[in-house]
Amino acid sequence: MQTPRLLVSGAFRFAIALALVFALGAVALLGIVEHSVSAYAVEAAGDGILAEHDVLVNEFETSGRAALIATVNRHARAVHEDQFHYLLFDAAGARLAGSLPAAAARTGWHEFEVLDPDQGGSGRSVPVRAFGARLADGALLVVANDISDLRDLRSGLRASTVTFGILISLLALAGGLVVGTLFLRRLDQVNGAIARINDGRLNERLPRIGMGPEFDQLSANLNRMLDRIEGLMNGLRQVSTDIAHDLRTPLTRLRQRLERMQLGTDPAPVPEQIDGAIAQIDEILGIFGALLRIGAMEARGAQASLATADLSEMLERLGQLYAPAIEDADHVLEAAIAPGITVRGDIELLTQAVTNLIENAMHHTPEGSRIRLELARDGDGVRLAVADNGPGIAVEERARVLDRFYRIDSSRSTPGAGLGLALVDSIARLHGATLTLADNAPGLRVELVFPRAPR
Amino acid sequence: MKLLLLEDDLETRTHIVRLLQAEGHVVDMARTGPDAIFLGTTGSYAVLILDRMVPGVDGLGVVRSLRAAGIQTPALFLTALGEVDDRVAGLQAGADDYLVKPFAASELLARIEALARRAPVAEVATVLRAADLEVDLLKRQVTRAGKRIELQQQEYKLLEYLLRHEGKIVTRSMLLESVWSFHFDPGSNLIESHMSRLRAKVDKGFDRELIHTVRGAGYRLDADA
Repeated sequence: MQTPRLLVSGAFRFAIALALVFALGAVALLGIVEHSVSAYAVEAAGDGILAEHDVLVNEFETSGRAALIATVNRHARAVHEDQFHYLLFDAAGARLAGSLPAAAARTGWHEFEVLDPDQGGSGRSVPVRAFGARLADGALLVVANDISDLRDLRSGLRASTVTFGILISLLALAGGLVVGTLFLRRLDQVNGAIARINDGRLNERLPRIGMGPEFDQLSANLNRMLDRIEGLMNGLRQVSTDIAHDLRTPLTRLRQRLERMQLGTDPAPVPEQIDGAIAQIDEILGIFGALLRIGAMEARGAQASLATADLSEMLERLGQLYAPAIEDADHVLEAAIAPGITVRGDIELLTQAVTNLIENAMHHTPEGSRIRLELARDGDGVRLAVADNGPGIAVEERARVLDRFYRIDSSRSTPGAGLGLALVDSIARLHGATLTLADNAPGLRVELVFPRAPR
Repeated sequence: MKLLLLEDDLETRTHIVRLLQAEGHVVDMARTGPDAIFLGTTGSYAVLILDRMVPGVDGLGVVRSLRAAGIQTPALFLTALGEVDDRVAGLQAGADDYLVKPFAASELLARIEALARRAPVAEVATVLRAADLEVDLLKRQVTRAGKRIELQQQEYKLLEYLLRHEGKIVTRSMLLESVWSFHFDPGSNLIESHMSRLRAKVDKGFDRELIHTVRGAGYRLDADA
């Protein structure tokens, strides 16, 4: 037989623990009440006995032994709510008055049982509490009082302590079970939703648990996490589709070229055909490489091994490397590079980013355009810019050019996979820098702003 | 030259061996890291060509073991792991060069030549010569047929690198790495532009060209061609 799910559930254990705590609390509370009530009752009874004893001693001291005996006999006969019992022995141990058994002839406080005199000696015995003290002539006077009420009170209190303890525990247990069952039911709904998500329904979201703001916050947080995962998955799916799409074109061209070579229909000499094929493969590999780099960068995020990167030196070096090629492409290279500017970063990745920006500027501007490299401090931060006075990018296209594989229609004819700016954007984000595309009036101005430069 | 090749993929191994043999090299093959360590410590090779991911001990481990055993044979990593960190790890382990797969055959051959040349002794020459071209490394002065040639800093570095590898092919990426310290190929004709400026100063107006373009591979400075 299977243990019912409720009994092994966390809710049940919680209910049990709760019941235990309540029971302990109830027992402790009633215990304290019982203790103080009975202590009070005992004290009150003792006071009564002492007062009666004092009265009798007084009687003896003012009026003598005979008067005392008479008073004891009178008091013993009186029908009184708070009935006292007496015993008076002379110094030699002979009974002078009173009905208490001889065994009661002791000084100080003590308790014992006597046959209830009200029921003619045949009745049940009743507990009494007695106080005995010697008088000035050596006689022993014992005054006792029925304490059966006190006993009853105590046992009554004890019984109710146990009863209420059990009752409260049961209530706590039941309450815990009810709350636990409700909670389980809500969790079942949440688990059901998670199971559906695991089965691939990524747009499913968790219901509110609804037992308090903390639980709602938990499901809200989990939902945010799911949103993020779904976004990443969609991004990944989009990228895979894009890759498949963008690689199909060069792969198709490569295949056609190889088929032409096989059939011998290409008029170009074979070495040239092979060169072309290799160039196409290199282009495909270049796309792969850039994608891998973006992926790796986004995966390692902030854990990149960042060191001090000398941006000034890097830009100078890039400028020198590119100057002849830019000149040969009939472009003009200008540089305004402030010396000694460093940031925390990966110099190779940053170099790659700036290289991509320069390449973009070279390939997407007409002859005679100016390409300008700028590096300057900007408040606490650093501003790096690559600007040109070419056609620029329309405002509505600026956000989209950061997407992988996005290409402005007018640039479809120029080679490239459209990964350049996406890569730059990834590198910028890795360095906590912001990439902005602005109007250079005319032309495009791409800025990388690094938040804070170390001294 | 006698070379050691560590590569576990049969097709790649066959391809590289044919390539190297066609150049007149003698190639010993190892398929696992321990084999390569054994051959590397017992044989005498001009250059070690090591794949990074192989069974047994990986390429990094092979280089570390050989270096620890005091074997300083130049080592070239040949690997699909092309990220910056991978390259740094390779060089730190004691390799001398790093070539990412897929690679061009000419690139591999040129780098092997460059490594083998560099092996024996550190260059102590203060003047490099090729035919009537002379570069004074101390004064940083270039003359050809007794005539001073003024070169910009990068042109000078380019020429020095070509001269140090005289008669050998140097590839674009070798130049990018050694002259500009860039470890990736931006794609544009950067090196071509620099080279045409260097040629305009070094070769133009003289009876013989020293700097030659090797189609599909790179450049070669050759006094005898």
